[in-house]
Amino acid sequence: MDRQKRNLLLNGVGLILLGGVLFLFSRYGSDYHIRILNNMAIFITLAVSYNLINGICGILHLGPNAFVAIGAYTAALLTMSPMEKQLNFIIQPLIWPFSAVQAPFLLSLLAGGVMATVFAFLISFPVFRVRGDYLAIVTLGFGEVIRVLCNALQGVTNGPLGLKGLSPFTNLWWSWGVAVVTVLLITRLINSSYGLAMKAIRDDETAARAMGVDPFRHLLLAFLISAFFSGVAGGLLAHLITTISPSLFTFFLTFNLLIMIVVGGLGSTTGAVLGAMLFAWGGEALRIVESPMNLGLFTIPGIPGMRMVIFSVILMVVIIFVRRGIMGQKELSWGWIFDRNPR
Amino acid sequence: MGTFFQADRLVMQFGGLTAVNEFSMTLQPGELVGLIGPNGAGKTTVFNMITGAYTPTSGDVLWQEEKITRLPVQLITARGIARTFQNIRLFNDLTVLENVMVSMHHKIRSRFWEAMLGFSRYREERRRMYEESMDYLQEMGLAHLAEEKASSLAYGQQRRLEIARALATRPRLLLLDEPAAGMNPLETMELAEMVRGLRQKYGLTIFLIEHDMKFVMGLCERIKVLDYGITIAEGTPAEIQKNPDVIKAYLGEQKNA
Repeated sequence: MDRQKRNLLLNGVGLILLGGVLFLFSRYGSDYHIRILNNMAIFITLAVSYNLINGICGILHLGPNAFVAIGAYTAALLTMSPMEKQLNFIIQPLIWPFSAVQAPFLLSLLAGGVMATVFAFLISFPVFRVRGDYLAIVTLGFGEVIRVLCNALQGVTNGPLGLKGLSPFTNLWWSWGVAVVTVLLITRLINSSYGLAMKAIRDDETAARAMGVDPFRHLLLAFLISAFFSGVAGGLLAHLITTISPSLFTFFLTFNLLIMIVVGGLGSTTGAVLGAMLFAWGGEALRIVESPMNLGLFTIPGIPGMRMVIFSVILMVVIIFVRRGIMGQKELSWGWIFDRNPR
Repeated sequence: MGTFFQADRLVMQFGGLTAVNEFSMTLQPGELVGLIGPNGAGKTTVFNMITGAYTPTSGDVLWQEEKITRLPVQLITARGIARTFQNIRLFNDLTVLENVMVSMHHKIRSRFWEAMLGFSRYREERRRMYEESMDYLQEMGLAHLAEEKASSLAYGQQRRLEIARALATRPRLLLLDEPAAGMNPLETMELAEMVRGLRQKYGLTIFLIEHDMKFVMGLCERIKVLDYGITIAEGTPAEIQKNPDVIKAYLGEQKNA
């Protein structure tokens, strides 16, 4: 059996196993477990697509929260019925045509992805004129702009009140289905010669150009693909928590994604997946530190936000002591497990 | 037949400093020409202007009847002018093989979604890229290192990988910027043989910068000498060696007190 067939088979087995686990959880798992698993899948989607820009292209992009917000709002506005919208928009009515349309969930998710992509395309021209710290600041700015617009454009987003009472369409199958598709497609892209060109730009842009690689085209490609999947994940997120407001899409979200991909290993898709899973699990497990703790003799009152302190400490420790994260730039692949000479 | 390659009075000014002044030259297909001069004479600046990394203050670069002076670097590469770098600039996190494959990417016909979905057209192209890249590595004696990281190679191997990578863009004109820098005499000799072989095999025109006089004099058919951005001599190796201006530029003026 050659490697290609074996890998395909193993991928199939892996997917069936994942399906089995999800089935068991959807049948017997508690709401708590299911919520963690859903979060995990959405974080995986976000982290893997974020890693495509920050890890593979080596661009410090700080505005993925904007893509997620656009995806979330677009999808939410599409799935809500005109009736629900009227109930939601009490201060200022929703403008036409949003007030009238309604679409099925899948279509809404895709529309969310497409809207995020369109936005990414529009900002790509100013963004990719600069590099390094400047690019980080420009993207950070765009992320903030979108959040502020979500607050201000009451006729579209309902302002700070947000959208409430979305149908909880997101279940384990949707979230993990999207995560699997995202990971597969983005891994394929990274392993293709397009991915090679992106890594070449990351390593040395001048040399990449001299070898015939057009930086703008490839960075734009990565940016758009990343935005699309982030937008879809945003739609999933909206229909998981069923209430969205601008405060959900602050720089904080970007910061969390940054923790995931840095801890996982910048430039490694496997690392992004691991980082996302650890973050989703850790976020719940560390809830203890925010609740009052009884230490026998005395009781520590719960400090809200303590989890973020711990995450930040972890991030600092990783940056100081294991700068390359869990995976470095390596990938966990079947070849790596089974072959003596992986390729 | 029109001009194959022509640099027409290229001038490069950085602020008040004229790095290169009125640099002109023509190349015939298959020629092997050297560019020498003391440090800071503007040699690499000439390369940067030809490859589009710098836009000349004035003057033009003509390549097969076309003015390429203001084209972006990657388009000039696509038209068949490739270069290596004086200070090695490999893609350090990629493998040796991947470094070469990057250079073939600009010729790819498959769209990104064909690559993402694994269409057969892409798989076929990918296979060809792999095989051709291995050929170039074989040529430069690096095939056994294909899966190593580029940063883990020895210095001389890195220089050769630079050449393999430039070859993979399928150039007709190859610009080598100090290919023998840091090599020992034996490696330098081998390199000279390699350069000759490459020219023969791929029908290349080669224009190179080098400080190693033995290498340049033994290899090049024609040599140009730059000093402070000005062309001070041009001719066969024998003529250059006797030229008083060249000797003056390299050794300073003889003072008869």
